[in-house]
Amino acid sequence: MNSLWIVTAFTLRNKLRSKAFIWTTAILAVLLVVGANLPYFLERLNLTGSNEAKPVGYLEGAYPEIVQGLQAFYGRQDNPEIRLVGIASGGSAQADEAALRQAVEDELIKGFITFADRPETGFPEVIYHSSSLMDFSVAESLRIALEGVKAEMVFRNVQLSDAERALLAAPVAVHTLLISTGEDGGKTAAEQGIAIGLTYAIIILLFMAVTITGQLVATEITAEKSSRVMEILITSVKPLKQMFGKILGTFTAGVIQIALLVGVLVASLSMPHNRGALEALGIRLDAVEPKLLIFAVFFYLTGYFLYATLFAGIGSIVSRTEELGQALSPVMILSVVGFYIAIFGLQNPESPLVVIGSYIPFFTPFLMFERIGLTDVPVWEIALSIGILLASILLFGWLAAKIYRTGVLMYGKRPSIKELIRAMKAYKV
Amino acid sequence: MKPLVIEQIVKQYGEKTAVSNLSFEVSEGEIYGLLGANGAGKTTTMRMILGLIMPDRGEIRYYGKPYGSEQLRMMGYLPEERGLYPKLKVSDQLIYLGQLRGMSRAEADRSLREWLKKFQIEEYYNRRVEELSKGNQQKIQFIAAVIHRPKILVMDEAFSGLDPVNVELLKSTVKELRDQGMCMVFSTHRMEHVEELCRNITILDRSRTVLQGSLREIKRKFPQERVVLATEGEVQGLDSLPGVRSVRRSETGYELTIEREEVAQDILRHAMAQAPVRRFELMEPTLNEIFIKTVGERNE
Repeated sequence: MNSLWIVTAFTLRNKLRSKAFIWTTAILAVLLVVGANLPYFLERLNLTGSNEAKPVGYLEGAYPEIVQGLQAFYGRQDNPEIRLVGIASGGSAQADEAALRQAVEDELIKGFITFADRPETGFPEVIYHSSSLMDFSVAESLRIALEGVKAEMVFRNVQLSDAERALLAAPVAVHTLLISTGEDGGKTAAEQGIAIGLTYAIIILLFMAVTITGQLVATEITAEKSSRVMEILITSVKPLKQMFGKILGTFTAGVIQIALLVGVLVASLSMPHNRGALEALGIRLDAVEPKLLIFAVFFYLTGYFLYATLFAGIGSIVSRTEELGQALSPVMILSVVGFYIAIFGLQNPESPLVVIGSYIPFFTPFLMFERIGLTDVPVWEIALSIGILLASILLFGWLAAKIYRTGVLMYGKRPSIKELIRAMKAYKV
Repeated sequence: MKPLVIEQIVKQYGEKTAVSNLSFEVSEGEIYGLLGANGAGKTTTMRMILGLIMPDRGEIRYYGKPYGSEQLRMMGYLPEERGLYPKLKVSDQLIYLGQLRGMSRAEADRSLREWLKKFQIEEYYNRRVEELSKGNQQKIQFIAAVIHRPKILVMDEAFSGLDPVNVELLKSTVKELRDQGMCMVFSTHRMEHVEELCRNITILDRSRTVLQGSLREIKRKFPQERVVLATEGEVQGLDSLPGVRSVRRSETGYELTIEREEVAQDILRHAMAQAPVRRFELMEPTLNEIFIKTVGERNE
């Protein structure tokens, strides 16, 4: 058997049997099952609790016309978000205020509205006093309702047909459709939502898979060096085969782990009770484009090999595991930068930062994938960035192999780049 | 054809010369001693023999051929610092190492079991290395070097840190392998091991070869300057004999250093005249003395 495969099989076997690997996989699988079922659980909770209309108080007798309008507005809805509760006036401004606050304290109401006169428009300013800071949805609902009330007040004396009134009451809808220069037409809002969600999920997965498995490679190489097994290994098998065997073995372990986790996720998402919950959130698994998945796999492969060779090279020059973290930080920062540009780019996939970054090989797996997922990228651009990526994998693979060949023989203090180059020349690697 | 021929090899690290113009040959069934103080170039020489680094000049031939992947498999290496995977089972890692050197799984397994049996530690087959005592770890380390029956075995600082029982066990194993025709290169600081095992040696000092040849020849070149004398009673006036450099009383008698070998006879006559002599010996110089003389004096 070729020694490359012996190293690969040995690495894979040890990885799969290690407690750390088994536990991480198990914990991640449990988290995924919980996460996948979360919409379902939330929906169940909603049925019993928070779907009820929120009670909002008002002072009886203040602006009766507006209050009546609001009550009529919410009365027309099947499932109103807000229920208005009248609070008896206490006679003076202070007493009114106290009565309203008392009602909030007694949990009769969640908040209350007061009015401030605004003679210049004739429509008062409405103030919503909320018991919690984050009650945006109530305020938004009130704003929409009040717009309707105001319109009705204005048009009360104007003769309008029912159709005209309905037009007036109907909210304006704005939908975004992605323009495509290809023939397959644009993406609908739902497809776009799924594309963003999927791109986001895959970029996170990509980042984690690349950095975690890449670091594993470095850790193992340093561990072999610090336990001095390395000296025996390099006298048994060519360092190049050893390095790529290690990278391949760890990679296979990573793929098995991801396949398991994705399997768990898909299985729990396609459980019958989850289907309705997911649809309610607008997630449909069959809306995922196969092209996107193929690119995801491709960029995982290339991203992994690019980073893994770097991690392997660095792992080989460090003699002690404690020093590894520090030595890896430049590459870690590189990957984090790529990741954050990608997260930023979810909102602006066309920004020059993302476009230029997608040609830098260390960022290509994140950024070009994002561009393909969210925008319409010409084929030549994809081909160019992939070409650069593949060329740099070869370049860094070659460089890492050279560093590895030298690094595994150097013990003691971590060598500087100058020392490393001198040693490479001296060892004639 | 000699298994290992080293011819005029030179290795430089930048300005510093690690090995200069070193040559030696090792026959089948021979243990070759490579001696030198720390930093003399032993490890660099061994790394070049193992093919980890290439000499700048000169040549190393294995059975007449230059280094290649074929040679990788016929070589075994017992490193100075012990190195095994602490968390892995003995069987897993040794079979792996055997496979890397071209054995099949079954062959490696069979060989491993034989070796464990030989060292009477068969019960460690399924144990993790970190659970074993240091002595047993070193036996495992030794098996790692020889599991694939190498033709050339390189041992860097073999037997260091072993207890006397294990030293004897490994020494006798090494002798057995030598008698089976294995060619070995051996470096150590323990001169008594070299005297016991090696036929030919090279002493390196700061990259240069300072002494080389068969152990017997080398010893013959160094004058016999030490006399051990044990008598029934006291012997007076030993230090006033011409040619005696120093006299030291020991528990059992006297140890003298002399200028010329002939002086020894005068000492014997002188002692016999005064008391019955139980022991008289003109000592060969020990390798330790030779080493200190050739390397130590320079370093002062």
